[in-house]
Amino acid sequence: MNRREALFSLGALTAAGTVASRGAAAEMSGYPADMALDRGFLPRAVIPGGQMQVLTDDRQRATVTAVFDRLIPADDLGPSASEAGCIEFLDAQLAGRYGAGAALYREGPKMAGEDALSQSPQFIATPSERYEAGLNALEAWAQKTDGASFADLQPDRKDEILKGMEDGSVELSSEVNTKAFFELLLANVREGYFSDPIYGGNRDMAGWRLIGFPGARYDYRLYADRTGEKLDLEPVSLIPRD
Amino acid sequence: MANFKAFAGGVAALVLIAAAGAGIWAWRTADTWRNAVADDAVALADIGAADPEAVARGEYIMRAADCAACHTREQGDFAGGYEIATPFGTLVSSNITPDRETGIGAMTERDFFDAVRHGQGQKGFLYPAMPYTAYARISDQDMHDLWAYMSTVAPVRNSVDENGGMAFPYSIRLAMLGWNMLFFDGSGFEPAPGNAQLARGQYMVDGPGHCSACHSPRNALGAEIGSAYLQGAVVDGWLAPEITSNRHQGLGDVSAADVAEYLGTATDGKAMASGPMAEAVEHSLQYLTEDDRLAMAAWLKSVPGSDVARPEQVDPASPEMHGAALQYEVSCSACHGTRGEGMGDLVPAFDGNHALLSENPASLVRVMLEGARAGHSGAKPTGAGMPSFAWKYDDAQIAGLLTYIRNAWSNAGMPVDPAQVADMRGALAARDKAASGF
Repeated sequence: MNRREALFSLGALTAAGTVASRGAAAEMSGYPADMALDRGFLPRAVIPGGQMQVLTDDRQRATVTAVFDRLIPADDLGPSASEAGCIEFLDAQLAGRYGAGAALYREGPKMAGEDALSQSPQFIATPSERYEAGLNALEAWAQKTDGASFADLQPDRKDEILKGMEDGSVELSSEVNTKAFFELLLANVREGYFSDPIYGGNRDMAGWRLIGFPGARYDYRLYADRTGEKLDLEPVSLIPRD
Repeated sequence: MANFKAFAGGVAALVLIAAAGAGIWAWRTADTWRNAVADDAVALADIGAADPEAVARGEYIMRAADCAACHTREQGDFAGGYEIATPFGTLVSSNITPDRETGIGAMTERDFFDAVRHGQGQKGFLYPAMPYTAYARISDQDMHDLWAYMSTVAPVRNSVDENGGMAFPYSIRLAMLGWNMLFFDGSGFEPAPGNAQLARGQYMVDGPGHCSACHSPRNALGAEIGSAYLQGAVVDGWLAPEITSNRHQGLGDVSAADVAEYLGTATDGKAMASGPMAEAVEHSLQYLTEDDRLAMAAWLKSVPGSDVARPEQVDPASPEMHGAALQYEVSCSACHGTRGEGMGDLVPAFDGNHALLSENPASLVRVMLEGARAGHSGAKPTGAGMPSFAWKYDDAQIAGLLTYIRNAWSNAGMPVDPAQVADMRGALAARDKAASGF
């Protein structure tokens, strides 16, 4: 059978099917009738005003708040990271599967030189454990070098330390991969600032308004032909507050 | 004392006269003389080979009357066991297979006529959940054919206690005699003179089709209110909408061809059957001939409607509607269309869809809270799904969205009350809205 014949026979099949189904009544069995979503598919929102679950230590929480608010400070463009709920976001993440490293391979042994071999640092510790160790180390480092809590330092000094953590010139302790810890903080504060508000951060969709992201929409047919125009679409949360 | 005696005697005489009158009344109500045309000698289980043409015609009546809808459940075809929740307790549908002990195998044709058309079964009076009030209109010929069909059904042994779950005094079958005296008319079908198509449509609607069983409102004792014939009613949390000539919430502005297409395929490309109506299309209406469906449509469109008229439109562009319009765009428009145009036979349209505009939005609220499966048919087999939005929207948001679609584009409908959404969320045990963050 050549290609042309194959296409013709396919057409004949379709036509026959159409004619048959047009004429006869038929009942389908086994249709799923229950259209309510399974609870497992629902997004699990952070309850506003809930208690901290992981970041319960005041000093640790003050330290991470100070770091986040230097990475995303309040300015004319929008609120700071902590004002936008990034601490609540982080706490909820650390209390859940992310904090437990559920998606990470954490079985030993970790061999010497493995970080270089994998071209990225490898951890047996969970993200939650890395925060605990990293925040304690940062606070101890600040006490040692500056004689004060990190959270109480001047903004410029905080920036200096953070830049040192980022470029590798500051090593908080031999136990903490400082550069990797900085990257973890930076990634999580971005996630908190730009994730859907139901997860605790991006309060009032401040992050989305800042960058003009329209939120949980999936259909832009109304706007497809309005090219070259500033649309200013109102952002929409997955579970709209009002 | 003499006075008292005279008084008492007078009362006694009155009571006697009333009792005699009631007796005649009861006798007339229970009278099944019409059914004398049926054979009273041969039991169903003893019928040998029935005339195949009569069986085929009988199957058509069975489809039109949708017997299987209530009499078929997991226990087998026509073996009964369907539990029907009524305001008076739970009824269980009976086994109507030809099994001699647990079904209707010992019944004669006359017994069958008495049961189907007059609500008098082998265990006593039937409950009007069995629409004998409508089946009374079925013609002798159609009954003979239906009987022939029933003789071909495979007997299934399944013992059913039909009224064990009814509350006293409704558990007493004889109580239905009183109900019948008040509400039952056992006379045959009398078409309005004139148009043969209308007469056929009326017969199919009022007789086997028993449309009014759901689409007519009922009084406190569960009897249909004749003055509101087919003007809509709530059944099991669904609105069976008005299906009269009313132009706002009925079929007045829908063509007979579209009504017939809806009945035969579950959608006319605009409105779409779901819930109990989807089942009516799937099990019954799609099996009817196009002529019968057109006749039913013609009759429905000729029925006088309620006086519900198009209300003042809630401006869909008003500030109160702003949030609803945005949520419509985000959650609804991908399937139902940015202009409410729907997706042909797959997804109902909203603009100009009169099924959306009923005064009582119960079905719309229910579909938002529970989701729904579109009806399917041989011609349009998809049966697309509408997801539940209970997890995403609170009562006020759902009410707002429904008010929006009832008033956007060319539509105008009464605003939806959040309290009704709250009530139905509770009654359906639908999910609460999930936490929505900060």
